[in-house]
Amino acid sequence: MNAQVDTPPETAVLEIPPETVKLSIRDLDFFYGGKQALFGVNVSFAANAVTALIGPSGCGKSTLLRTLNRMYSLYPGQKATGQVLLDGEDILGSRVNVAALRARIGMVFQKPTPFPMSIFDNVAYGVRLYEKMSKPDLANRVEESLRRAALWDEVKDKLKDSGLSLSGGQQQRLCVARGIAVKPEILLLDEPASALDPISTARLEETIAALKTEYTVVIVTHNMGQAARLSDHTGFMYLGQLVEFGETEQLFTNPVTTRARDYITGRFG
Amino acid sequence: MTADASVLIAADAPRSARGTGLDRAFEILCFTAATFLLAALGGLIVSLMIGGWPAFAHFGIGFFFSAEWDPVKEIYGAAGAVTGTLVTATLALIFALPLALGVAIFLVELCPSRLRRPIGTAVELLAGIPSIVYGMWGLFVFAPWFSKHVQMPIMMSAEPGTLWETLTTGVPNGSGILSASLILAVMILPFMAATLRELFLTIPPQVRESAYGLGSTTFEVIDKVSLPYIRTGAIGAVMLGLGRALGETMAVTFIIGNSHGFPTSMFASGSTIASTIANEFAEATGVLHTSSLIALGLVLFVITFIVLALARVLIGKQANL
Repeated sequence: MNAQVDTPPETAVLEIPPETVKLSIRDLDFFYGGKQALFGVNVSFAANAVTALIGPSGCGKSTLLRTLNRMYSLYPGQKATGQVLLDGEDILGSRVNVAALRARIGMVFQKPTPFPMSIFDNVAYGVRLYEKMSKPDLANRVEESLRRAALWDEVKDKLKDSGLSLSGGQQQRLCVARGIAVKPEILLLDEPASALDPISTARLEETIAALKTEYTVVIVTHNMGQAARLSDHTGFMYLGQLVEFGETEQLFTNPVTTRARDYITGRFG
Repeated sequence: MTADASVLIAADAPRSARGTGLDRAFEILCFTAATFLLAALGGLIVSLMIGGWPAFAHFGIGFFFSAEWDPVKEIYGAAGAVTGTLVTATLALIFALPLALGVAIFLVELCPSRLRRPIGTAVELLAGIPSIVYGMWGLFVFAPWFSKHVQMPIMMSAEPGTLWETLTTGVPNGSGILSASLILAVMILPFMAATLRELFLTIPPQVRESAYGLGSTTFEVIDKVSLPYIRTGAIGAVMLGLGRALGETMAVTFIIGNSHGFPTSMFASGSTIASTIANEFAEATGVLHTSSLIALGLVLFVITFIVLALARVLIGKQANL
């Protein structure tokens, strides 16, 4: 035991208190056809907190995100083994209603993906799928979502315009509004700011920071400053493994593993 | 200038000079090719106009509105053939569109990847079958079957005196407007399916994933997101199919029945512009007969041109989206 004190551990994953866990991943392996992309990931994400996933390109952080809402099951040949427990219930099982699951777990992508319809209809799209509401209620929901995504003031006079007519930054906030309009329990963000200019990025970050009071947010990002600013917990991934997971402040100031330290100090990646 | 180019190369000229000469020759070649094509098109239109002029001059505007086509009395009107053309093409479109959409959606969204290639290839092969083969199959195989299992039961069940009865009268031999439309539908199906498939593939995967990510079912994604996304282009694809159906000749000539006059029932035999021309060109001896056929050709040219031009405009709009 004493001999190992000086050698940093290969991996270090913080177990968060069970009562705060929203999403728990157990022994998760992921395969693209014959190629394994995730190796035995074990980690839990806390409710009402922002968890950031960082790591070099191809490390599996987006793949991990895509298992959390079963997006991979759109593609034959991609498969996940292990368990992903949402409030204790395994969502990887074959009997899970995937559409209903995805309504509980919203996702925003790297590039804005407005639908070819009006701004209002974009935000109302998901709501109309799962809830029957009166017109005024729906209008309220749309306004509330757009306000929370910090887009309302810019679009309130042109809700009937096409979602495609907005600028890139506005489109991305529209996608956030669309994602939160259905009141999901979890919001997955896959490098949401990578295609945005600094001002739009700042606004989006404010939005995300404000969202965590109600949502469990998991964000994949290349931008370590962003991860440090936004998140409560951070996971560092490398070559399909979760190398280190802990409190954001601890991970950025005093990483336990050599790989995480090398990455954060800029020695590689 | 072009003659100099080879000399310059041989004389080990500076690179820039050598490149310029070759480029110039290449430009001229391409320009000639393009001009030649346009000239051919222009010549075609002019010769159709000149050839059709005696008919237009003799019958006036009535040429377009009379359905009478009587080589013995030398009376020619285009209305029957034009109507036959438009009706068969439109019906074919109505039959083919849902199938083409189904094929395209299946190939893009639902098909297991192992089957994707074989089915895609089969669809393309369908497009490669010469139209005369479709015609022969239509006349010898499809028409008798159609007569026995579709036409007869429908005609028997029609109440006398109703509009339905009028719409379904005809010689029960299986050939006629509806049979021609069905054969046409099979012929344009692969083109439309292939174009629609390409359009579906232009939808960014992340847009589809976003729709799925909000909890949509496959049908909701296709209905509410994918189809609206490709709407303009899809209309263009439909028009391309229509353009092909309008001009299709041999298969239709085999199975439409080839009677002149205005088609009044879906089982009645009729004619299209293309089938009329194909049937009668060899026997057209009189100046007026020949000229009327050429005039018909011009009409077909104009209709097809309008349809294809519209298709181009719409597909172009989609590309700019």
